Amino acid sequence: MATDGAEAVSGALEGIRVIEMGEGVSAAFCAKLFSDYGADVIKIETPKQGDKTRRWGPFPGDVSHPEKSGLYFALNTNKRGVTLDVSVPKGREQLLRLLEDADVLIENNLPKKMKAWGLDYQTLSAANPDLVMISITPFGQTGPYADWNAVDLNAFHLTGTGSRYCGRPGEAPLQHGTFSAEYYGAYTAVTWGLACVLGRTLVGGGQHLDVSCAEAVAATFVGAQNIGGYAQDGIYDKRTGVGMSLAAPATILPCKDGYVWMIALETAQWKGIVKAMGDPEWAQIDLFDDMFVRAQNADMIYPLLEEWTMQHGKQELMDMLQGNGCPATAVYTVAEAADHPHMKERGYIVEVEHPELGNMRVLGAPIHLPECPGGPRRPAPLFGQHNEEVFCKQLGLEAVAFEELKSEGVL
Amino acid sequence: MTSSEKQLPLSGLRVVNFGREWLGPVAGQTLAFLGAEVYRVESQIRVDINRTLPPFGGGVRDHNRSLQNHAGWAGNGSITLNLKEPRAVELAKELVAKSDVAIENFGPGVMEKLGLGYEALRKTKSDVILVSMPAAGLTGALKNVRTYGMSLSSITGLDSLTGYADGPPVPMENAYADPLGGIIGAFAVLLGVSYRERTGKGQHVDFSQQEGIMQMMTPAFMDYALNGRVAGPIGNRHPLKAAAPHGVFPCAGEDRWISIAVSELEEWDGLVAAMGKPEWASDQAFASLESRVENIDVLHEKLAAWTIGFDDAALADKLQEHGVAAAPVLNVADLLNSPQYKSRKTFIEVDHPLGFRETIYGAYVKTSRSNIDVKPGPVMGRDNGHVFQDLLGLSEEAIQELIEAKVIF
Repeated sequence: MATDGAEAVSGALEGIRVIEMGEGVSAAFCAKLFSDYGADVIKIETPKQGDKTRRWGPFPGDVSHPEKSGLYFALNTNKRGVTLDVSVPKGREQLLRLLEDADVLIENNLPKKMKAWGLDYQTLSAANPDLVMISITPFGQTGPYADWNAVDLNAFHLTGTGSRYCGRPGEAPLQHGTFSAEYYGAYTAVTWGLACVLGRTLVGGGQHLDVSCAEAVAATFVGAQNIGGYAQDGIYDKRTGVGMSLAAPATILPCKDGYVWMIALETAQWKGIVKAMGDPEWAQIDLFDDMFVRAQNADMIYPLLEEWTMQHGKQELMDMLQGNGCPATAVYTVAEAADHPHMKERGYIVEVEHPELGNMRVLGAPIHLPECPGGPRRPAPLFGQHNEEVFCKQLGLEAVAFEELKSEGVL
Repeated sequence: MTSSEKQLPLSGLRVVNFGREWLGPVAGQTLAFLGAEVYRVESQIRVDINRTLPPFGGGVRDHNRSLQNHAGWAGNGSITLNLKEPRAVELAKELVAKSDVAIENFGPGVMEKLGLGYEALRKTKSDVILVSMPAAGLTGALKNVRTYGMSLSSITGLDSLTGYADGPPVPMENAYADPLGGIIGAFAVLLGVSYRERTGKGQHVDFSQQEGIMQMMTPAFMDYALNGRVAGPIGNRHPLKAAAPHGVFPCAGEDRWISIAVSELEEWDGLVAAMGKPEWASDQAFASLESRVENIDVLHEKLAAWTIGFDDAALADKLQEHGVAAAPVLNVADLLNSPQYKSRKTFIEVDHPLGFRETIYGAYVKTSRSNIDVKPGPVMGRDNGHVFQDLLGLSEEAIQELIEAKVIF
């Protein structure tokens, strides 16, 4: 394992060797889940520009600098970093040597690109039959869209999520304000990928995992609750701009200092809201005990609820409603979520020292394992930081050959 | 098929799933897709809300026919135990003793109250892995927060970013965090399994749904950490302003749209060529990525005026030919008809044991060596016979008595 003054903590995935070769969010986040839980991850970047997240920021003071991107920093903790041009024979040769001893390759290049580089699964598995190759692309390795140029936004809107669940009728379907299909795809990939690593003996070797970010969301989110009904009855719903159509309240409502997510499905939860409101007369109708009836009368109920929420702050509302057994919550801003005492108590936000950014705050490990805690301990690698360590010390490349590859722009 | 091809990566891993609603069952399903033997514990005493949601198979309202949720539950087995009965709790513990993993998504402390807390389970199986998946973790000021997947998103900050640019937050009308949380929960299980394989030690794993979803907020969190800036809704724009255009544009027909994103110069040139080089596109305001980002509102207006005349799928083809990242925006019906999902067999039709056909999702990740077997949604108590008789060794009479006493119920 790498140096950099890391403490010797035994992680859940210690001993697993991972090579990451990709751009942007999906491959990097998938590999980060490996590295934050103890696997040895080597991130390969192109020698010319490096990972595009180095150019995305956010940067301190909005001044662009390839070593100061906040997103790059967060997505690449605990990894070692090398630069390698795998599109030329000499670079490809180094990659193949790295893969000989690797358990996992994580990549998110278009299939046609991997093929052109001579790095398709067939070729790689011949060299290392135990390799688990995890490919995460917007649309997957097969099908008419497999080689389409696409980013997170394109993948997200191919899932039906925006059309069905987010936005106002007559206006554009909406994405979450983040790379949500790529995060979803990466979590899916690490789960299936780790299972395939653990199961290699059982199934007789490594395999290729074909993860489509769009397909993961389309199947498990939108498909799960819509496809059966549509296939049977030929009808389907679209976004309302208001909230869930089967239940009410199930929406965001404004309040004195922001917004609350107001939701009550079960009768007791609805009664909790009524009680928190001080038992107003309009809410005493027994029929409203049923969430479907409330949904049919949402036009009437929402303005009345809003009249009440507008008199209170979001945290106050959350406390009152939660206290009465209703699962409503404040819509926290990023600052309110991050600075909540809860986060401090759980140690979710950790600090990691980075040579260019200084002492940085970063989100920690979402899965807490008391026997083998994970989380960011080492900063993201500087550009090509571990070239010598990996190519010379690990692979035994001679100093002369190393310098030659450097001057040829392969490293 | 050789013998190894019949094995799945998690064959032999036995899981007792106390999970409920959407997230818990998806955690079990994910493991089951990969070969684990999963038994979901449920009861007629309090039928899971997801079994009560329409539409129903053949239009017959029944707890075993909720189509909406069969997809999300397929793969899980099912046993029925009324955990309010001490004898049911004992049976659950016996099953855990014969299993590798237990998973649950109650609030903190509920498993203890049921007599199924980590310490109790550890007494029956010293290396048990218990994975808890509460909304905000097992500890901390918010540990007792009650949420559904939708309200959960709001305490992560995610909802504060979702909405039209500079407008109020717009609700995501279903729980994105639930199926995703289930998948992350399965990862949590595998972390525990991985550690136990190496050391022989079990543990009580604490997966906070809030923290899992908050990872998605990393771009906004880092901007807050670095610059103290608090982001608001950004519509369909690039979260770090690294592309323009970057949005969803209207096409011909009712509620038809196309997503288009341009960051590289070649992509911009491709888009301009596809549009037939209109004069406005050569304006200095759109000459560089920086200036396009700065003038994104005007740029989007111009582009929308062009896209609106085209069929979405045909326009996506045309833009792809010019190297531009573009794809149609699908609705629910489109999912079933999409050439991409059809080709990948994303959605499949299966025969339900109650005699109807249902469409669910299949293996949404393709694995080259393992042949994922997807089963229809589970009937309540489907595995009672196998579990109580074969695994726990109860006699038929004993089982009958427990059914009558509403212990197995």
